[in-house]
Amino acid sequence: MSQKKRVFSKTKEAREAATGYIFLAPALILLSIFLLYPMGVMFYYSFTDFYILTPDDRSFIGLDNFRGIIDDAQFRQAFWNTVYFTVIVVPVQMAVALGLALLVNKKLKGRTFFRTAYFSPVVMSLVVVSILWTFMYNPSEGLINELLSIVGIPEQPFLTSPDQAMNSIIAMSVWQGAGFQMMIFLAGLQNIPDHLYEAADIDGASTWQKFLHVTIPGLRNISLFIFITITIAAFKLLVQPMIMTQGGPLGSTKSLVYHIYEVGFNYRDVGYASAMAVVFTVIVLIVAIIQRKLASEERG
Amino acid sequence: MNKKWKMTLPTLALLTAVACGGEEATETENGEVDENGEETNEETNEGTSDDVETGEADTEVQATGDEDVVLDFWIHQTGEDETNFYIERIDAFNDAHEDIHVDTEIIIDDGASAYSDSINAALVAGELPDVMAIDGPYTASFADADVIQSIDEYISDEDREDFVDSIIQQGTYDGSLYTLGAMEGSVSLFYNKDIFEEEGIDVPTSVDEAWDWDEFKDVAEQLTTDERYGLNKFWNYGIGEYMTFSGAPFVWSNGGALIAEDGSTADGYLNGPEAVEAFEYIQSLFDAGVVSNSPGEMQFEEGNAAMALGGPWIAISAEDADLNWGMMPYPVKDEPVSPSGSMAYGMTTNSEHPEEAYELMAWMTNAESTEGLAEVTGMPPARESAFENMERFEELPWSVMKEQVTETARARPATPAYPVLTDAFAEIYNAASLDQDLQQVADQQVERVERELQRFAD
Repeated sequence: MSQKKRVFSKTKEAREAATGYIFLAPALILLSIFLLYPMGVMFYYSFTDFYILTPDDRSFIGLDNFRGIIDDAQFRQAFWNTVYFTVIVVPVQMAVALGLALLVNKKLKGRTFFRTAYFSPVVMSLVVVSILWTFMYNPSEGLINELLSIVGIPEQPFLTSPDQAMNSIIAMSVWQGAGFQMMIFLAGLQNIPDHLYEAADIDGASTWQKFLHVTIPGLRNISLFIFITITIAAFKLLVQPMIMTQGGPLGSTKSLVYHIYEVGFNYRDVGYASAMAVVFTVIVLIVAIIQRKLASEERG
Repeated sequence: MNKKWKMTLPTLALLTAVACGGEEATETENGEVDENGEETNEETNEGTSDDVETGEADTEVQATGDEDVVLDFWIHQTGEDETNFYIERIDAFNDAHEDIHVDTEIIIDDGASAYSDSINAALVAGELPDVMAIDGPYTASFADADVIQSIDEYISDEDREDFVDSIIQQGTYDGSLYTLGAMEGSVSLFYNKDIFEEEGIDVPTSVDEAWDWDEFKDVAEQLTTDERYGLNKFWNYGIGEYMTFSGAPFVWSNGGALIAEDGSTADGYLNGPEAVEAFEYIQSLFDAGVVSNSPGEMQFEEGNAAMALGGPWIAISAEDADLNWGMMPYPVKDEPVSPSGSMAYGMTTNSEHPEEAYELMAWMTNAESTEGLAEVTGMPPARESAFENMERFEELPWSVMKEQVTETARARPATPAYPVLTDAFAEIYNAASLDQDLQQVADQQVERVERELQRFAD
């Protein structure tokens, strides 16, 4: 009897597993075609001198591409630009998103309007937003300088100065992206049970204390999620400098992904671009692992 | 990038609707024809949209059994009128050749890399067409890689003679001719006649009288006021091909070069004393405050700049803006030199019908195509005979452009490392608008060109 039952449950298990795999199949197939396979190809190309114009005489050159990266000034500059962008954008965008979420969480008149308004940049194409901001940043005719001139601040070369261009792109990126994280924070805020605030009230906590000791801890998991997703998205910076500054002036806004794109498609050096992409993947992977470590320590 | 800057707000609204892929289509609907066929749109920058096929051109297929040769032909989509003109010419070719049928594919050229992305993809897949349009200065890299084949054995002496020198120069690599274009490009000095009359400034009317650098700068300074700039150098087009196209003559006129004659090195050329002096001259214009590094879209047309060093499309936008404009030759230091170059046709090495393919190339660049295209786009033609036949070029202001194209135009260097070289040039040129040590910037940029040249060294 027991024997029979086991057999029965085994086939049932097998059948359930099979069903599971069938459900997984579409995702797995798509992931394989559009992610795993290209990654494999990229890894392979990174050891070759694949030049687009001569696809047939591609040869294996070992680690030459990777050696080339070491003394590639352009790569170094792009790397540090990307790090700078990420290090500034992540905290600023999180703070702005949280601030907006707190605002639109208040029971104010017209808050639906504000939620929509703050979210709207997210649904707009990044290309369009970049073009619009390019106009707004224009020193002589742009909206922002016009406003600054009212309060007596001279024209700022937002996108044409090597010192300001990246910061201008950061400001625009925060504006564009924060709405999305605002929505997630908002969901998080609404999940914090009211009784915690009531208890804090009874204990005589001030608004600030409530924020610090109830709201912030209540948002911990969501914050970690947002932290990780913004970081990875920030590393992938591409569209804004491509449209707004072409990586200039003096390469001050050239990001890693942009540099890889340029080498691969404009200079047609797919082998070298693949090697840089491999290095980039490893960098992002390390950052993600560190973040996960920090996250689990915090939880534990 | 140029185009993106040129977009008006209504265009942007449309853009929002079509997202990234549809930029070109929107642009086309805008009817900004005359900016489109030009150099500035090609490869100037890195684009965002993927290659999009706009579908087959309607080429009046006549499926009689006689058509034994089918040619695949790729052209880039630019302004509506220009593209329509190409289609008309292809239809006429099909009508005139019973035994050849041309299948045309019009590929989006978003002013960035969409068109070259398509070529790259087809190259890797081994599916290049028989004949394709490519950006003139890229001839060398395609030729060096044996992607396109020499047309030396096909072209007639008459034809070779009739094309302006700069177009032959642009199409030549390593002593052989590879590409032919129907259209030339040029940059001249446009000026606001009203302002010039007010100030009583005489203008040169032929390339022999062209201003030298000092005169040019003096006038620019004289014309700069609190309300307007003396000059527009179209810095708003971005850091890209337009800078090399329009700016290289400053270096050449000063006796410099972008790269060694044999293409072996850029060291001592792009960062050589003549080149750096030319870059520093541009810098002095910015230092003197006569030119803006972020001019508005219509700075010259609206009278906010007295002069504009720009392409033939400026004539059209100035005309549209009812500006009283004139044209002067490109300023000169020692040698009179002017910008040149545009899209050209090349036939690929994997074409099974080279003779027919050349016939198509020749057709698309023959006298009729050349003149017609110049008529439709406002760009200068690539043939001397076309200049002779077109009355427009007989007198001022267009006679200036004719002189430039037939006498002083110089093609950008033919080197397989051109994609990197042009970016390096643009980066230094742009640095002239910043407070930078240009020798140092040039040295840095030469380093990356040298890196790239190593690939082609053997």
